[in-house]
Amino acid sequence: MAADFLFQVFPTSGLPIYRQLVDQVRRHVASGRITSGDFLPSVRQVALELEVNAMTVSKAYSLLERDGVVELVRGHGMRIAKRLPASDTLEERQRQLAPLVEQLLAEAYQLSLSPTQVQNLLARAIKERNGK
Amino acid sequence: MSDETLLTHHVLEMRGVSKLYSGRAVLDRLTLCVPRGTVVGLLGKNGAGKTTLLRAALGIARIDHGTVTILDEPAWTLSASAKQQIGYVPQSPQLYPWMRVDQIIAYTASFYLHWNRALVERLVTQWEVPLRRRAGTLSVGELQKLALVLALGHEPALLVLDEPVAALDPSARREFLKVVLEIAAGGERTEIFSTHITSDLERVADRVAILQRGAISFFGELGELKDQVKRLAITSTNSLPEQFSLPGQISQRIEGKQALVTTRAWSPGMAGEIESQWHAEVEVQDLNLEEIFLELHDA
Repeated sequence: MAADFLFQVFPTSGLPIYRQLVDQVRRHVASGRITSGDFLPSVRQVALELEVNAMTVSKAYSLLERDGVVELVRGHGMRIAKRLPASDTLEERQRQLAPLVEQLLAEAYQLSLSPTQVQNLLARAIKERNGK
Repeated sequence: MSDETLLTHHVLEMRGVSKLYSGRAVLDRLTLCVPRGTVVGLLGKNGAGKTTLLRAALGIARIDHGTVTILDEPAWTLSASAKQQIGYVPQSPQLYPWMRVDQIIAYTASFYLHWNRALVERLVTQWEVPLRRRAGTLSVGELQKLALVLALGHEPALLVLDEPVAALDPSARREFLKVVLEIAAGGERTEIFSTHITSDLERVADRVAILQRGAISFFGELGELKDQVKRLAITSTNSLPEQFSLPGQISQRIEGKQALVTTRAWSPGMAGEIESQWHAEVEVQDLNLEEIFLELHDA
């Protein structure tokens, strides 16, 4: 897959580029856009196509490897791992999601959506996802 | 812990370097060690001494104190073979105005044992460098492109660029940054470029060196810098102290129950501590390089 299909980096963001890449891979895995067994484009390919430093990409990949999201297949590159590790505690994983929930609620408030309407929206989205 | 401690091999080592101009220290006991294979962006205000630093690094400017070692040799007495390994583009390249561009290229190539003709041809075409014109008739941007081509032709192990994109238009700038990345992708070659355009640096550099008051105030991975420097927006239900003294604090503004505090030693535990100590809510704001640069200079 071409790197710019998979990633979109904002170099002038306050979030370091390596973190942007890590987050995007995690998000693509979560949304099913890439699944276990898929290979990520090579470090070199990502660096040249996105026009970012190769060391930055390689840092992102090694963090993903450390966290068990991808595994290194010698001679082939980085492959999305079989199953996502659930090494973190439930509390920790909920904590990671908290900022997004916060943002969702803030946006919902701006759009004058009631709590029930937000809950319905979430329920519908979850149902659609599971039905896939 | 970054890899600096493991990577003992530095392409450039400047230790305790001072350079005086009519009594004023432009470089003041400056230390900078650049590991092989890195792309270093040297960031500093106008007049901060970026050019002086680069010239001292290359042994073009004589230093008053300290030591400079480049490619394992003292910079001031660099051997011819070491010079073959270095490419340098000064801020305002001086080229022979009476010579045609293609003549200058051939002339420069004759000094080097190794010259990548194909690369030079590709760059000349890509950057539309006018081969048949005399150097004296070129615009500042064209001259800068030509100087870059000349510095890249011998594929140096160390490339030093002083404000390389200052005179380029946005599309030539992107083309140039692409070349920087291509060179870096091999992992063998080292590049040091000075700039005051932070957005270019954020894309291509893996390390940033910030030059302030004649010394390096930060040198490290760009991602690390962004991880470490955070602005905290603190909102309390009670009143806040008159002064915060957080670890690594750079600046603070306190107005009643609200405060903005910037630290360069951010750790995830910090927010919780502030929240419990001051009955406050803390929003952690990411800062980009330009904002970090400004914060460091306002401090």
